[in-house]
Amino acid sequence: MTDPKVDGLIAEARTLRYSRRQVMRRAAALGLSVPAVTAAMTTSGYAAPNQTRKFASAPAFLQGSSIHILGASYFVVAGEERFREQMAEFGEQNGVDVTLDLVAWPDLQARIAAAIQAQDGVDIVQLWDPWPYLYAENLVDVNDIAVPHGEAHGGFYDWVVKTASVDGSWHSIPYGTSSSAFAYRTSHFAEVGYDSFPDTWEDLFAAGKALKEAGLPPLGQALGHSLGDPPSFTYPYMWAYGAMEVEEDGSTVAFNTPEFVEGMATFIQGWEDAFDTTGTAWDDSTNNTAFLAGELSATLNGSSIYISAGRPEADGGVPEIYEDMNHADFPQGPAGRFTNIGAQSWGVTTFAQDVDAARSFLDFFYGEDQLVSWYNANGGYYIPAASSFSELPVYTEDPKLAPFLNLVNYGRNKGFAGPSDEAAALAYSEYIVIDTFARAVGDGDAQGAVEWGAEQLERVYSR
Amino acid sequence: MSIVGENRIWQRFLYFYIPLGLFVAFLLMPFYWMFVVSLRPTADLLNRVRNPFLIYSVTLNHYRFLFEDTAFTTWMKNTLIVTVCATLLSLFCAILIGYALGRFQFRMGNFLGAAIFIAYLVPPTLLFIPLAQIISEYQLYNSYWALILTYPTFLIPFASWLLMGYFRTISAELEDAALVDGASRLQAMRQIVLPLAMPGVLSAGIFCFTLAWNEFLYALVFMGTAEMKTIPVGVVSDLIKADTFMWGPLMAAGILGSVPVAIAYSFFVDNYVSGLTAGATKG
Amino acid sequence: MAVAPNTQDLTGIETPRTTFGRGSFLQREGPLAALFMIPGWAILLLFMAYPFFLGIYISLTNKRLGRSAYDFIGFDNYRYLWGDSIFQQTLKNTAIYGVGTVPFKLAFGLALALLLNRQFRFSRVFRAGLLLPWIVPTALSSLAFLMLFNSVISPISISLQQAGLIENNINFLGTAWNARISLCVANIWRGVPFFAITILAGLQAVPTELNEAAALDGANRWQRFWAVTWPIIKPITLIATLFSVIWTISDFQLVYVLTKGGPANATHVFGTLAYQRGLNATYFGEAAAISLYMFPALALGAVLLLRNIRREPH
Repeated sequence: MTDPKVDGLIAEARTLRYSRRQVMRRAAALGLSVPAVTAAMTTSGYAAPNQTRKFASAPAFLQGSSIHILGASYFVVAGEERFREQMAEFGEQNGVDVTLDLVAWPDLQARIAAAIQAQDGVDIVQLWDPWPYLYAENLVDVNDIAVPHGEAHGGFYDWVVKTASVDGSWHSIPYGTSSSAFAYRTSHFAEVGYDSFPDTWEDLFAAGKALKEAGLPPLGQALGHSLGDPPSFTYPYMWAYGAMEVEEDGSTVAFNTPEFVEGMATFIQGWEDAFDTTGTAWDDSTNNTAFLAGELSATLNGSSIYISAGRPEADGGVPEIYEDMNHADFPQGPAGRFTNIGAQSWGVTTFAQDVDAARSFLDFFYGEDQLVSWYNANGGYYIPAASSFSELPVYTEDPKLAPFLNLVNYGRNKGFAGPSDEAAALAYSEYIVIDTFARAVGDGDAQGAVEWGAEQLERVYSR
Repeated sequence: MSIVGENRIWQRFLYFYIPLGLFVAFLLMPFYWMFVVSLRPTADLLNRVRNPFLIYSVTLNHYRFLFEDTAFTTWMKNTLIVTVCATLLSLFCAILIGYALGRFQFRMGNFLGAAIFIAYLVPPTLLFIPLAQIISEYQLYNSYWALILTYPTFLIPFASWLLMGYFRTISAELEDAALVDGASRLQAMRQIVLPLAMPGVLSAGIFCFTLAWNEFLYALVFMGTAEMKTIPVGVVSDLIKADTFMWGPLMAAGILGSVPVAIAYSFFVDNYVSGLTAGATKG
Repeated sequence: MAVAPNTQDLTGIETPRTTFGRGSFLQREGPLAALFMIPGWAILLLFMAYPFFLGIYISLTNKRLGRSAYDFIGFDNYRYLWGDSIFQQTLKNTAIYGVGTVPFKLAFGLALALLLNRQFRFSRVFRAGLLLPWIVPTALSSLAFLMLFNSVISPISISLQQAGLIENNINFLGTAWNARISLCVANIWRGVPFFAITILAGLQAVPTELNEAAALDGANRWQRFWAVTWPIIKPITLIATLFSVIWTISDFQLVYVLTKGGPANATHVFGTLAYQRGLNATYFGEAAAISLYMFPALALGAVLLLRNIRREPH
């Protein structure tokens, strides 16, 4: 199977400490296929020395090129400002014109699609968790930056590797993700006898029921067509009741299990008893609004609610809620405690005007000082992809934010137990798991909803 | 006054004031709501004690934010440039097509007229991906031309149809007389028919202006940088911060974004209607 | 304005045009007509026909975004969609969306046009003002509806609660039928002004003398409308309806902003489903097929309607 020429080249690269690009150049000279060499480099664990490091001080050949970056809008304004400063700093040092375009979350994929189709217009692109698989063919291989970066910082978490690398090869460099935890009102829960947040889903529904009966605000959960909050509840709940999209082979659908049907029936009851039932219409923003309006006792969200609440009142801050709220880990179900987590990353497009300039910007951005300053500016909104960054004070100094970091320990990727591949991405963008829940609470038929979901997953996974 | 016998006041109320009032309420309520939100402090949105449709304290912060902290003036400028150019280009094409279809007898005339209409049936959600490729091949990506040249695809059909009808209403004798007097066809068209057709041209122009001003999808995908965005795109991408909407500035932008078109309408609404009358009833 | 449209001509007969066939090239109608067609058709061919045919071709392949390799698969995408329950649901939703909006837009638009056709104080202000829904960029007015239909901060819910009429927030977009009705209301809101202004234009062509004569003959309001007004505004009303059907079926923005096809696919229309399958999931071929599914039916309907209008004497 392995071509002796390829093996020879890898050995040669090891002795001569070739950069990745040098390897590729040699491969071309020897008439070897690029994918074969790439695969061999990955399997042999060859990590090219970080050749780009020296670009930062010797940028002469980047002079005059330009880099256009496409990403999703920031929640934390200071994070965006820091990123722009970094762009400017890099641009000045290297004589490169760096521009940034941030678009609303739901519009990001449309822009990426248009750029790919046009093979033009975007040099560096932000990718969310199932996307590297979708767009891998149009992303430059960045193993030479990603691999040493991970190694130097305690290694990437397993969920990062599973969601941002494509079959073990890096086409984009992960930086982490905004994660979810239960934001809840301590006083409300205390009033109905819960001094700590419920530890099982059933207990949570019971608490929600008690809250509603006591005239306190209910639980809130979005179940609409939205790519943020609805999956962060539905996937973990599905796993907690022993179901998953597919088994480890990545093709056998394992969704319709008696345990999950029962769990779904529990949820249907819980939805009536404990939740604000308008949640079927909610998008990612609704629970933020509702929680800050004092109309929810608990909801799953990123740290954005907490950060908003802590702002000055003139900017929409709500001091009494800020003081009263806390965060908790996901509850567990019969099969265990799970959360859905996947890494976001930055990639360089194959059609970038100047691939080297774009790569060296990423190399600059992922330099330790730069990345740490960016994590800090974001105030803990993004949990890191490589483990050593978790020790940064920004993640540890506020105990209320601890659950956001905890979930790196029990996170699963979309498409688990398979990889976060194209089928998983398709199931996600078709909202299949979410709609299973929405159907269930819509007509109260747990069995029917789960059967529908399984049928849809069969369709997606058999393509 | 009205010719219909509404001598009694109750009749006038029943057949006129009440229905008109209901229409005003229904059609202007969302607009009024945008106005209210744009002038109120953000915190009032969550207030459940006061009537949500009333303004208790006025703030201009949302408008100030738009002008000081976003590129709203740039978006406005971009939108104006693109809209005006696309409208003029569409009018030019539509006048020629409308004139040919409306005043000439020629083979293929009916077919071409129908074909233009059919062009309207193609959904933009189908077109924009192949278009992205074409825009890039023509090197138009992220330039005003990308929009100026693509907007006419949905402006020309209606404008041509309207003008075709309008040209038909203009008596042929005037033009024929000019031709007999030795004017060329082009002269007759430019000096006699076109001036008479101005109300129709104005109608078509206002129609084009409105549609171009409001376009979203093409502007989203063909304009790559912040400096090139149009109002709808800039507003949506800069005022929706991750999972939070900046409602006040969003609604303020909605109000300001409609003002130029609204002004155009308040001046020209009667011309618009009369141009449409002549053009459309002869379609 | 100065140039009143030639209303006399409306009932008249089309005089056959003399063709000045003998002059130079530019004096002859055929070549000149062809010349006049060039600029418009150049744009339509380059920026519409070309991508359109590309779209048709893509719908016959299994092309995926960003993948260079793909195969021609004939009508497989269309066949696959026919059996896909989400697509079937989308067909049903689109039918509901059309039936739930176009007749209302037509009825309300006609009624509003009849009201605005009268001369009354500030009638011009009302005419311009009531056009606002059509003027506000849809991307922004749909955000206003997102607020009005919000599950938490909807001012409609809040004021009804304050009045003591309801207890909980109205779930505008959260159940299948609520969401459909809410979308229809927003769509009607945006569409009524277009109908109103277009029909108003038609009404202005109705000679007042005719109406007066009919009134003197003892015809009531209803009879006068059908006998005098309707025949004159019929063509323009049909055209406006045709436009509206097309716009409604290919609507994207409103549904995309308000529900993205949710809850549980109850409001997916062609545009949103194609967006989801093509852009989010990268199945381009299938997305193109979704967009094109209705094209033959719409095109046929449009052609028949246009011929019907043409054939009728003015």
